[in-house]
Amino acid sequence: MDSAALLQFAIAGLKNGAIYALVALGFTLVFGSTGIINFAQGEFFMLGGMLAVFFVRLGLPLPIAVIAGVLATAGIGLAFERLALRPRRDSGPLVLIIITIGGSMVMKSLSRHVFGGSELSLPAFSEGPSIVVAGAAIERQAFWVWGLTIIAVVGLTWLYSKTKFGRSMRACSLSHEASRLMGIDTARIVMVSFGLAAVLGGIAGVVVAPLTQTSFDVGARIGVKGFAAAILGGLGNPIAAVVGGLTLGLVESMSIAFISSTYKDVIALVLLLLVLFVRPEGILGRATREKV
Amino acid sequence: MRWTRRRLGITLLGVMGIAIAAVPFLTDDRYLLKVLTFVGVNAIVVAGLALLFGYAGQISLGHAAFFGLGAYMSAYLTTTHQTPWLLAVLAGTGIAAAGGLLLALPSLRLKGHYLAMATLGFNEIMSVLFVELRGITGGNNGLSGIPFPSIGSFVIDTPAGIYLLVWGVAALAFLGAANLVRTRPGRAMRALHGSELGAVASGVDTTRLKVQVFALSAALAGLAGALYAHAVGFISPTQFSLEFSILLVAMVVVGGTGSLVGPFFAAVVLTLLQYVHALIPGLGNDVASVIQDWEVDISGMVMILTVIFLPGGFAALVRRKRIGVAVDGETV
Amino acid sequence: MTGKWLQRMLPATVVLTLVVASLAGCSQADSSSDEGGEETAKEPYTIGAVLSLSGTYAGLGEPEKNTIEMELERINEDGGVNGHPVKVVIEDDATDPAKAQAATVRLIEQVDVLAIIGATGTGQTMGMRGDIDRAGIPQVSVAGGTVVTAQFDPLVFQTPWSNSLVVPFTLSRLRDAGITKIALMYDTGGFGADGGDVVKATVGEYGISVVAEQTFNPGDTDMTAQLTMVKGSDAEAVVLWNAGKESAIVAKNMQQLSMMLPLYGCHGNARAEFAEGAGDAAEGFRFAAGKILLPETYGTDSMSYRVATDFVERYTERYGKAPDTFAGHAYDALYLIVEAMRRLPEGFTTAELRDEIERTDDFVGIGGIFTFTESDHNGMSEDDLVMYRIQDGAWVLDTP
Repeated sequence: MDSAALLQFAIAGLKNGAIYALVALGFTLVFGSTGIINFAQGEFFMLGGMLAVFFVRLGLPLPIAVIAGVLATAGIGLAFERLALRPRRDSGPLVLIIITIGGSMVMKSLSRHVFGGSELSLPAFSEGPSIVVAGAAIERQAFWVWGLTIIAVVGLTWLYSKTKFGRSMRACSLSHEASRLMGIDTARIVMVSFGLAAVLGGIAGVVVAPLTQTSFDVGARIGVKGFAAAILGGLGNPIAAVVGGLTLGLVESMSIAFISSTYKDVIALVLLLLVLFVRPEGILGRATREKV
Repeated sequence: MRWTRRRLGITLLGVMGIAIAAVPFLTDDRYLLKVLTFVGVNAIVVAGLALLFGYAGQISLGHAAFFGLGAYMSAYLTTTHQTPWLLAVLAGTGIAAAGGLLLALPSLRLKGHYLAMATLGFNEIMSVLFVELRGITGGNNGLSGIPFPSIGSFVIDTPAGIYLLVWGVAALAFLGAANLVRTRPGRAMRALHGSELGAVASGVDTTRLKVQVFALSAALAGLAGALYAHAVGFISPTQFSLEFSILLVAMVVVGGTGSLVGPFFAAVVLTLLQYVHALIPGLGNDVASVIQDWEVDISGMVMILTVIFLPGGFAALVRRKRIGVAVDGETV
Repeated sequence: MTGKWLQRMLPATVVLTLVVASLAGCSQADSSSDEGGEETAKEPYTIGAVLSLSGTYAGLGEPEKNTIEMELERINEDGGVNGHPVKVVIEDDATDPAKAQAATVRLIEQVDVLAIIGATGTGQTMGMRGDIDRAGIPQVSVAGGTVVTAQFDPLVFQTPWSNSLVVPFTLSRLRDAGITKIALMYDTGGFGADGGDVVKATVGEYGISVVAEQTFNPGDTDMTAQLTMVKGSDAEAVVLWNAGKESAIVAKNMQQLSMMLPLYGCHGNARAEFAEGAGDAAEGFRFAAGKILLPETYGTDSMSYRVATDFVERYTERYGKAPDTFAGHAYDALYLIVEAMRRLPEGFTTAELRDEIERTDDFVGIGGIFTFTESDHNGMSEDDLVMYRIQDGAWVLDTP
């Protein structure tokens, strides 16, 4: 295999990996401040794409439709937190996980009723042929994927380390009770986390839609991949989510190159299970195991 | 007082048992019997999941895969190797139990969401294998011509016979589970659900217990899958997807934690919701198609609303009314 | 206590109201599409239909349902079948073989149908077979899998062009174009894997060899890795077997990798969503399908042309968009049964109906001209297929 082909595989892996990373960031954000896994994260991805298409069809210009799609997704995320999760926020994680599973069922099915069962297309953000680097081609939309991933991870890292709000979020992840006693508005933190997670999912959804088209049922699959990426990297840390996402993407494309395209998902998932069993805190996670 | 309540409960269960057993003698509607057979199959899986979730505090998003393992194993053995039915079903149950054990041993050392991930990953891996191992599973075209249940020359080939077989197994599964929760391991499981730390402190080997419960629930799913394969005669990969796993979890959640009767009724209602004509006889076709169209939304909404308003599921509602005091509403 | 309860109650009530409101709105919309034709005195002939109106194949089941409802009205306005009104009871199988099977049993036991249309998917169609055989009722499937008629059942007919018809047609066109080495790509779902198998089994007969074979899963979002493997081979053309949105991604990824190889798809790509999704990457994309996409290919003075244009016009007027090939498969399935009923005397049995469907000879449908025989229940020939090419975002006839 020549180096251009190898580079092409790497690019494919990094492009898919960045998409997984964006979804993983949403998981990690919600987990960071609430300690729960949001099974509806994949549906935020779906909603971002679907709503952007919806706004384009309403006649809005593409940039505005894209932003409106992301904002509308954020609104749904906030509403979901406020209506379904807030009433039970004092319950254990299992209850909240179940609410998010229920939420994902409703969001997916409702969007089929609203937008129909067929796939929908969104135009590319910037027109033009792909760019060739050292014999490997990169489509323009991929730069949008990478750019937005970098912005998201830098923004989140800054939020966590430099702002009072970010520090409150981290405090929340350690103990809600203690944070509340310290005077932190935990309810607001949780709501904002969900809003931001929806924004991240929505961004991933709109930036991918021009590459792949979108439909009501794309959420579950990307949710599994994003979740896997988040666990692979280590939950609760933005950098880890990106490392997990890119690793997963690269493993998949290298499986195609060297093993088999049919079993690429199996190979990636088996790797995930192995990491889970051997190093449950993930590649970059802190090695402090929750005490049993 | 306590005694009478217990007796009331047993009487009610007895009446229910007789009613279920009487169905095939009251109707010969093959559709109704078929759908109620599906209900019985799901109830067997739910008996295991109720132990796992409601008593041991774990969720599994992979039970459709165990169900599929049992179904394919038994179907493969009977169709291509002419294995006797009973042996094949036992093999299906066994492979699911073994799979459950293998998955549980490493992952149950971990906390809740990691198990959810591990089971979910397992379900996805099995979904691919069900399609790709064509020599055994028949790939996307599925496995057809799966023989009816039989012991020796005695073949159960009527809908009523299969109905009684499945419900007989379901009854045994629930009786077994009910016995289990009353014994020492059952009390240990409840302790586990209440507080893992407390359970450890009182000398319960939590990991071992969790692994055992998980393997047991996987075995029940495998058994149900094997029965299902012979009841329908045709299986294909789409039937063992993540969506089915989620539906099974929904049944247990809506039914209630720390209860077997609650999840049982939830299994009945949520399964029948997919076959509205069986749920509400004489329903107009227009209404039925609307309900079918909205089935997922309804299941999802019911799941959310149950968890919000009835934290212990419908079982808790009944319990609360009868005793008159709020029982541990916040068990989870 | 009450305050907290209220706090919980309020948001949920809002959500519930929304759901109920949309439910009500939906059911209203639904009930308006009832079929008429009650004025005839004779008892109705009832046909069952098992379609995927939800689940993965919802996008296929919808045009099928639309077609059946529209054509039913027309049949009954024209006096039904020999004075008997025709009724079709449509069941949703949610793309699940178990539900398809239960629906079949209900249609047979509770509704007492004379024949069954469906299912939409191959797996669902196969799942129904046991009960179809037990009841001895003819079934006209609208699923495209080769297995439906290859695993022969005297009771089962099939209206879409099966892969065993489209693959040889496509391969012979490749041979005519002088291509001897192809790269084969297909999805691992039912339709793609089935097509892939047929291609691998028959390429030899056309002097063609498969030099690269790559698969992808339904729902995959990027095929550049697979295509890089193809690029590294010495294939002269790419043959793609897939009916989902992944086809558009393959076309776009090929453009991105500047791969100039001709790309051949299949009848699964005969959907407006594909051309739209692939955009200018679809330029030059070839696929074989029936003539409905360009009715003039039937020949403007032919019966087929009149049937097809009439159907397209009525469908477009009623539903606001042109019918796709799936609508055509449902049209053919319904009329194959209805026409057979018309030829039969009063009081026919389901066995006689089956025999009469098998005697179908030169029935002019949308998918093609059907002639069934004792061993051919797909009933079409390569003459019913044409090769299309996408040019300026629209499909044109690809003349060899």
